[in-house]
Amino acid sequence: MPEHDGLMRVFWPTDLPRSDLRGVVVGWKNSAFDVFALAILEEVESRNVESALKIGTLLRNASHPVSRIYELCGQSSMYILGLANTPDSVEVDPSWIHVATGTGSQVPSVTCASASSIQVVLFERPLPGRMQYISLNPIALALGDKHGIHRLDFPDSGEEDDEREERRKKETKRQLVEKLKQHSIVKRVPSAKEKALAKIVNQINWAWELEKLLQKNVSRIGTRPKRSLSVSERVVESATTMRDMMMMWMWDLVIVYILPVIKRIFVLGLMCHRVTAEMMLLILEWRARPKYAALKDISATAQQVEIRLQQFCYWPMQYVTLRLRKNDWESVTTSHPDYIRFYNSLWLVANDVIIGIALGSYIIDNATWVADEISNLLTTYTVEALQSSISWLMGWPAGLKLNTELAAFLGDLFLWVIDYWSSCIEALRPALPHIIWVIGFSSFAGASMPIALFSDLLSILTIHIYSFYLASARIYHWQLNILISLFHLFRGKKHNVLRNRIDSCDYDLDQLLVGTILFTLLFFLLPTVVVFYLNFAIARMAIISIKAVFDTMLSCLNHFPLFALMLRVKDPGRLPGGIRFELRDTQELRLAAHDPPKGHHSTSVIYLQSIPLNFRAMFHQYFQMGNRIRKHYLSPRVVLCLLTGKFVPPLNRKNLYSLQYSMLPARRAGVMEMWDAVNSLPATMRRAAPASLPVLPNGRKLPSIYSGGRARGYG
Amino acid sequence: MLTTAPHLYIRRPSPTTAEFTVTTCPPLTLPLRLALACVHAARLSLLLAIILLLYGRWTASPSFLGAEHIRALGSPVSLLLAGDFPSLVLSVLQLLHASAAGQVCARAATHLLPSWWGLAVLAGALLYATRALGRIHTTESLLVLRGLGIQTASSYSSYNANATGSSSGSSGGSCVVGGGGGRWWGRIFGGGGAGGNAKETRFIPTEKIQDVLINEAFRGFEVRYYLVVVVEGEEELVVVFPRLLPRRRIVEAVWRGVRGCLYEPDSSGVAAAGGGMGIGIGGGDVKSVDEKR
Repeated sequence: MPEHDGLMRVFWPTDLPRSDLRGVVVGWKNSAFDVFALAILEEVESRNVESALKIGTLLRNASHPVSRIYELCGQSSMYILGLANTPDSVEVDPSWIHVATGTGSQVPSVTCASASSIQVVLFERPLPGRMQYISLNPIALALGDKHGIHRLDFPDSGEEDDEREERRKKETKRQLVEKLKQHSIVKRVPSAKEKALAKIVNQINWAWELEKLLQKNVSRIGTRPKRSLSVSERVVESATTMRDMMMMWMWDLVIVYILPVIKRIFVLGLMCHRVTAEMMLLILEWRARPKYAALKDISATAQQVEIRLQQFCYWPMQYVTLRLRKNDWESVTTSHPDYIRFYNSLWLVANDVIIGIALGSYIIDNATWVADEISNLLTTYTVEALQSSISWLMGWPAGLKLNTELAAFLGDLFLWVIDYWSSCIEALRPALPHIIWVIGFSSFAGASMPIALFSDLLSILTIHIYSFYLASARIYHWQLNILISLFHLFRGKKHNVLRNRIDSCDYDLDQLLVGTILFTLLFFLLPTVVVFYLNFAIARMAIISIKAVFDTMLSCLNHFPLFALMLRVKDPGRLPGGIRFELRDTQELRLAAHDPPKGHHSTSVIYLQSIPLNFRAMFHQYFQMGNRIRKHYLSPRVVLCLLTGKFVPPLNRKNLYSLQYSMLPARRAGVMEMWDAVNSLPATMRRAAPASLPVLPNGRKLPSIYSGGRARGYG
Repeated sequence: MLTTAPHLYIRRPSPTTAEFTVTTCPPLTLPLRLALACVHAARLSLLLAIILLLYGRWTASPSFLGAEHIRALGSPVSLLLAGDFPSLVLSVLQLLHASAAGQVCARAATHLLPSWWGLAVLAGALLYATRALGRIHTTESLLVLRGLGIQTASSYSSYNANATGSSSGSSGGSCVVGGGGGRWWGRIFGGGGAGGNAKETRFIPTEKIQDVLINEAFRGFEVRYYLVVVVEGEEELVVVFPRLLPRRRIVEAVWRGVRGCLYEPDSSGVAAAGGGMGIGIGGGDVKSVDEKR
C-alpha cells in the first residue's frame, strides 16, 4: 500500500440483522481500504462464498438484469470483506475485517489487522420499495430552470434594465470567483476514497434490495443435501399448480382479448384530445409578430387554459416514463422526482376540480345574487366613488387652493367619460347574471378557471380607470418635462441633446420673459394636475394589487407542493435534501465490546443520515416569485416612475408565471412523439407471478419473463 | 452568567476524524443547571400566561360557550380516556382559568386591554420573549472526516443540545437511531437528529473543497478573522462558525486541525501544519481551548 495512511473506512448498515452466529461479510470494495458491507451470510464457508461470487450464484434469479447493478454501483464484482463473529485465531487475509455484531451492542465492533485507524460509517438503508433514497443534492421538485433562455427571446423595455443589472452582477461575481481560484496554490488530486462518494450514495440506495437478493440465494452456496418433497407436499403443490393455472388462463383471456380493445380506444381518445389541445395551443400562442404579445400573455384565462392543456399534453409522457420504471430495479432512483411531480400535478388538478365544483354549484345557485353584488360593487367603487372623489377634487380639497378653472375642466372631462361608462355598465347589467352563470359553469373545469375569469373581468370592467390613469399620467408627465426645461431657461441654461448635458445659453430678453411667465403659469397649475394624477394612480395601484391577489390564488391552485408536503409528513425519506454525518462517542462501544485487541487501533463511529428536504426548498419557487414581484414593484425605479408620471409597466406575465411553468418542460412533446411513446409501453401487464410458480412440462405457454424460473425445479 | 465567550471543544476519536465545536455554553455546573431550569420555568409560565390572557379575554366576549357548558363536558381525565382532544383542551383551560393565576390574567385581559388589538400586540411581545429566552446559547460545529468531507453545523439551542459537546457520552446511548420521542418531530421539523434540536447542517464532499482558509474582514470597528471553505463551482464562500465568528486563536487552531485531519499526509507541507494538533490523538478525549481576551 504505497499511498496509504492506514485508514480503513467501513460502511455498515445499522439495520442488518444482528446475531451471534458466524458469518461472512459480503459487499463492495471501492478501494483497498474502503469497503461497503452489504450482507452477512451466516453459517457458510468463506471458500464457498468466494466461488459463488465468482460464478454469480448469489445473484441468481434476479428480477431484472444484473449488469445494471454493477453499472450503477460502479463496481465490477462483489467481494468477501471479512468475517463476522469469528475468533481472532482463525487465519485469514490481513486486509479482511473482523466484525462482532452481538445482539447486546448496537454498534458493531470492527477491527482490521492491517489498518491503523478505522472509520465506521453507519447508515440506515433506505427502503427502495417505499421509494426512499438518499442523495447528495436536494431533490429537485421543479424541472430544470429554462426560463432564463425564454426571457431573453423577447426582452421588453421594462424588463431589460433588471436583466442588465442582474447580468452585470453575475459578471462581477464570476470574475471574483475566478480570482479566488487563483488563490489556492496547491491543487490536490483527490484520492480514490474521496472520489468514491457518489458511487457510495448509489450503493447505499441499492443496499436493501441487494441484501434481500443475496440472502435469498444463500441456500445455494455449498453442498447441501437436497431433500425431495414428501408425497403430501407434492399433492398440495399440484393442487395449487392447478388453481394457479386456471387463474392464469382466465387472466390471459382478459389480457389477450378485452384489454387491448379498451387500451386501443383509450389511446385513440387520448390522441384526439392531444390533437385538439395542439390546435388550441397554437391559437393561444399565436403572435402577429415575434415581439407582439400572444393571447396567453394578455389574459389570465387564456394563460390558465394553456397551462391545463400543456399539463394534459405532458401527463402521458410522464406516465410512460413512470411505467418504464417498473421494468427496472426498484433501487434506481432517477425517476422518483418525476413520480412526485406527476402525482403532485394530478392531485392539484383533482383538488382544483373538487373546489371548483363546490364553488361552481354555489355560483350557479346564486347567480342572480352574485350578479347583483358584483354590479353593486362596480357602481359603488368604479363609478360613484370616482365621481365623488372627482367632485371633491373640483372644490378645493382639504383646503388646498387649486386652480378652479383647470380643476373644473379636468373634472368635467373625466365625469363626462364616467357618465358614458356608467351607461355602458347599465347596458351590461341585464347580461351580468348570464355571464356569472357561464363563469360558474366554467368552474367545473377547476376553481382556477373562475378566478382567472374574474381577474379578466376585473381588467375589462375597470378599463376606464386604466385609461384615466394613462391620460392623467401623460398630462402630468408633459407638464413636468416642460417645467424642467423652462426652469433651465429661467437659469439661463439649456439641455444639450447631442451631448446629453446642461449647457449655458444666452437667451434674448423676450425669450426669457415669455419663458418665465409660462414657467410661473405652469408651476401654479401643477398642484391641480398632481391631485388628479394621484387620484387615478392610487386607483390603478389598488386594481393591480387585487389582480396580484387573484394571481397568487391561481399560483397556489396550480403549483402548491401538496404532494411533497404530504410526503414530508408521511415519509421524509422520500424527499432527500442531502446527507449529514454525526460523530458518535466511542466510549460505550469500547466498554461494551471486549477491550480493543491492539493498542494502536482507534475507531471513530460516524452516523450517516439523510436530511429531509426543508420547507424553504419546497417553497423555493414561491420565494423566487415573491422576490421578483418585490423587485419589480417596490424598486426605486417604480417610485420614480410614479413620481414623474411615467407609465409603470405591469410585470410581464411570463415572469410572473415562471412558477407555474416550472412543472412543465420547455418544449412540449409533439403529437407523433406522444404516439410513439404511448405505443412503446410494454405490451401487456401480466399478473404478478404467483408465489410458487409451477414449471409446465412443455414450457410453451410460459411467458418469456418467467424463463428464469425454469432452471429452478424442486431443488 | 448563563453564557461565556465562545470557546472551543475538540473531539477526536481517531486521527482521521475530528469535530470542532464552538459554543457559548459554559461547562454545565450545578448552579448553571439550576439557572437554566429557572429560565425554562420562566418560559413555560410566560407561555401559560399568554394562553390564559387570550382565554380570559375570550370568556368575556359574547362568542364564549359558557363555563357551565364546558364543565358539562366532563372531567379532563375522562375526556383524555375518551380521546376527545378539543374538549380536553377546553376543559383544562377552564380549570386553569378558574385558578387564582387564571383569574388575575383574565382581569388583566378584560380591564387593562379591552380591545383585541392591544391584547394581540401584548401576546405577540410575550411570545417573542419566550422565543428569545429559548435561544440562550449558540453552538456551532465543524466535523472533519478524512476521505469524506467537511460538515458545518449551527444551532441556536437549549442546553439539551449542548450536552453532546461538554459532557460527552450522555447522549451517545440514546442517539443510536435518534432517540425515542424526539425522533418523530425531528423527522418532520428541521430534520434534527439527537434530542430533537433543530440543527442546520451542510455537508461538503472533499472532492468539492477547493481550499480552506482564514480570511479577515472589517466588522464595525474591529477586524474579524474567519474560517472559510471555498467550494468548487459555487459563487458563495461557506463561512464556518458564521454566527459566533470566534477569535483568531480559535480559528487558527481549527484551521490547523482541519488541514491536519482532512488530507492524507502525502504532501509534506500540509502534514507539518497539522502537527500542532497532534496532542488530540488518542481517541475520545475532550480538550478545550478557552479564549483569552
